[in-house]
Amino acid sequence: MEFRLTSEQEIFRRTLREWCEANLEPIAAEIDSKEQGIPDKIIKGLADLGVMGITIPEEYGGSMIPGQEITLANVAVQEIARADLSMSVPVYVLLNIGWGYLVTLHGSEELKKLVLPKVASGEGFVGIATTEAGGGSDVANVATTARLEDGKLIINGEKSYISGIRETTEQRDGGHLTLFRTDPDAGHRGFTFAYIPSRSEGISTTVYEDVGRGGLSTGGFRYKDVVIPESYVLGEINRGFYVNMEGFNAARILVAAACVGATEKALELSIEYVKQRTAFGRPLAKFEGISFEIAEDKSRFDQIQMWLRYTAWMADQFYSEPGSFTHNDLSHAVSICKLEAPHLALETVKHSMMYHGAFAFTKECPLELAYRGVLSYVVGAEGGTNIQKLIIARETIGPEAIPYR
Amino acid sequence: MKIVVCMKQVVDLAQLRFKSDGRTPVLEGLPMILSAFEKHALEEAVRIKEAQADVHVIALSAGSTKLKETIKEALAIGADEAALVIDPAIKDTDVSGSSRLLAGAIEAIGEVDLVLTGEGSDDEYSGQIPSRVAARLGWPQITTVRELALAGEKRLRAVRDMENSLEVVECDLPAVVSVTSELNTPRLPPLTAILKAGRKPTQEWTLTELGINADEIGGKAIQIEVLSNLAPEQERKNEMLEGTLEEQIDALLRALEHEGVLA
Repeated sequence: MEFRLTSEQEIFRRTLREWCEANLEPIAAEIDSKEQGIPDKIIKGLADLGVMGITIPEEYGGSMIPGQEITLANVAVQEIARADLSMSVPVYVLLNIGWGYLVTLHGSEELKKLVLPKVASGEGFVGIATTEAGGGSDVANVATTARLEDGKLIINGEKSYISGIRETTEQRDGGHLTLFRTDPDAGHRGFTFAYIPSRSEGISTTVYEDVGRGGLSTGGFRYKDVVIPESYVLGEINRGFYVNMEGFNAARILVAAACVGATEKALELSIEYVKQRTAFGRPLAKFEGISFEIAEDKSRFDQIQMWLRYTAWMADQFYSEPGSFTHNDLSHAVSICKLEAPHLALETVKHSMMYHGAFAFTKECPLELAYRGVLSYVVGAEGGTNIQKLIIARETIGPEAIPYR
Repeated sequence: MKIVVCMKQVVDLAQLRFKSDGRTPVLEGLPMILSAFEKHALEEAVRIKEAQADVHVIALSAGSTKLKETIKEALAIGADEAALVIDPAIKDTDVSGSSRLLAGAIEAIGEVDLVLTGEGSDDEYSGQIPSRVAARLGWPQITTVRELALAGEKRLRAVRDMENSLEVVECDLPAVVSVTSELNTPRLPPLTAILKAGRKPTQEWTLTELGINADEIGGKAIQIEVLSNLAPEQERKNEMLEGTLEEQIDALLRALEHEGVLA
C-alpha cells in the first residue's frame, strides 16, 4: 500500500507548481476581472505541459497514461486551483479534461478525431450541457428533445447555467456534451447524450453575469432545429443518461480537486499572515481562537486530500482493471469528495478572510475572488450538496433511501 | 560529442522548516530534488544537442538510492542517459570526496568532451566542485559562464561573468565549465516526457566499482568540518514613524537616506 504520489507524479506536480506560480498566479485577479476570457498563453502553456491532454490518448494528440489519468488530472487541477483562486482556469481545465475523457471513453472515431486533438492542443473546448431552467439535479425534468432522421439528430430545446459559452462561440472553438430526450415516454431510458458544436446553425446564446469565476463565461443555449450527425452520440441512442452520469464521476473528482487546491492556498495565506500580523503585542498565531481553527481546517484538508487521491486512484482502477470496483463504489467515493471539498474550501477561505480583517474585504486581497469562485460549487455546479448526500445515503442505506421512486 | 552534466540531489529548500529557535533547519524527511543551478547546465547541454547532430547528454549524480527517482527529472528535461554513483558512504563526504567520485565516474563513462556544472549547488553553494573535478581530470576549466558556444570541432568559447565585467575566453575540449543562472531559462518537462523518463538507460556504480575506497571519501578523508549551519539572524529595527502623513513621509525619506537606500 502506497500513500504517496509516485516519483513521476511528484515531478509533474512540482513542474506544474513552478509554471503556475510564475505564469498564472500573478494574473489570476486580472483573468477574473475581465470578460475577454483566459489568455491563450495560459491555455497554450498548460497544453505544452501535457495538462489539456491528460485524459486524451497520444494518438489523438494527448498525453494520457492509461491507469493514471484521473490521478494525474487530480494533481493538475489541484495545482492550477492553488494558483488561480478565482477558479476560472481550474474550471476551464477540469471541464475539458473531465468531459474530454468521456469522449475518449465513449465517442465514435469521427467524434474523437473532431474534438480531442483540439482540446489537447488548447485550441478547442469541450464542456457539459445537462442543466435546464426547469431542472438541474432532477435530470428527469430535461425537456430538450431530438428526433432521428436519416442518420441525423434534430435538436430543439434550451440549456441553462452552462460554462463555456463565449469560449466556444467567440474565443475558441468547440462545443458541449448535451443531454436530451429521444424517447419522451421511456424515462431514464429515453435520453441521448451527444456533442453539439456551439457554432451549429440554429443555436443562439445568452451570457449571464456571474458572481465569481469571471474568466469563464456562463450562460444558456437555445436550439432550434439544430442538426448533428448520429456519430456525435456518446454511447448509444436512448442510453445517454448513464453515459452522462459516468461523466459526472470524473468531473466531480476534479471539482473536488479544484476546491482542495483553493483550500491549500487559503491555508498557506492564513499561516503566513497570522505569524507576521501582531495584535495586543503578539502574533495572531498565539491566539487559540485562530490557531485551533487553522488546526481544524488543516485536519479536514489532509483527510479530504487523501480521500480524493484514493477516489482518483479508484477511478483509474475502475477503467484500467474492469471489475475491480463497481460504478456504485465509485459514485459513493466521488460523492464524499464532492460533498466535503467545496464546503471545506469556502469555510477555509472565509476563515482566512477573518484573520486578514478589513483587508480581506478589499479587492487587493487574493481571497475575495476565491470566496466568489468557490461558491459556485457549494450552490450547485456538477451536482448540488444534497444530491451527494442522496447518493451516499443510497449506497449506504440501500434503495429504501431513494426518495424519488 | 559526449556531454556530462553533474547534477546534485538536494533537499527541497522551499519546504525547509526550522526548529523552535527559528534558525536550526530540520533536514529530515524533506523531499529530494535536483539543485536548480545545475538545471541551467542541463538546459545548455540539451540546447547543444538540439542544435547539432551526434550529441549525447549524460546526467551524472552521486548519492543515496533515492537518486534513481530524483534523476528522472533530468531525463524528462532531455538527458539521454543517467549515470549514478550510489553508495551509503557518500552521505558523509565533502567537496573533496564528491569531486573524487565525480571525476572517477567521468573517467568510467569515457571519451567525455564536455563537463557542465552549476556555479554552485542550492544547498551548500561552495562552488568548488567544477575546479576540483577539472583538477582531478587534468582538464581546463571555465567558471561562471553566462554565454557558451562551440568554436570549431574541439574548441569552446565562453563569456565569463566577472560581476563588474565580462571576460571572453576559449579553451580546447575536453573541459569543465560551470554556468550561472543568466545562461538560459531551463525548460519545464511535459507530462509525457516525465512519464517516459524511467525508460531511458541508467548506468550505476558503487564506490568499489569505481575503484574508490569508502575511506577515501569519508571518515578521516573529510577535510571540511561544518561548524555551524544556521539561518542568519534577522535584525529588525522596528522604527515607528509618527506625526502627520507628510511628517511621516519626510521621516521615511530621511531614514532611507540614512540607510543608504536613497542617494
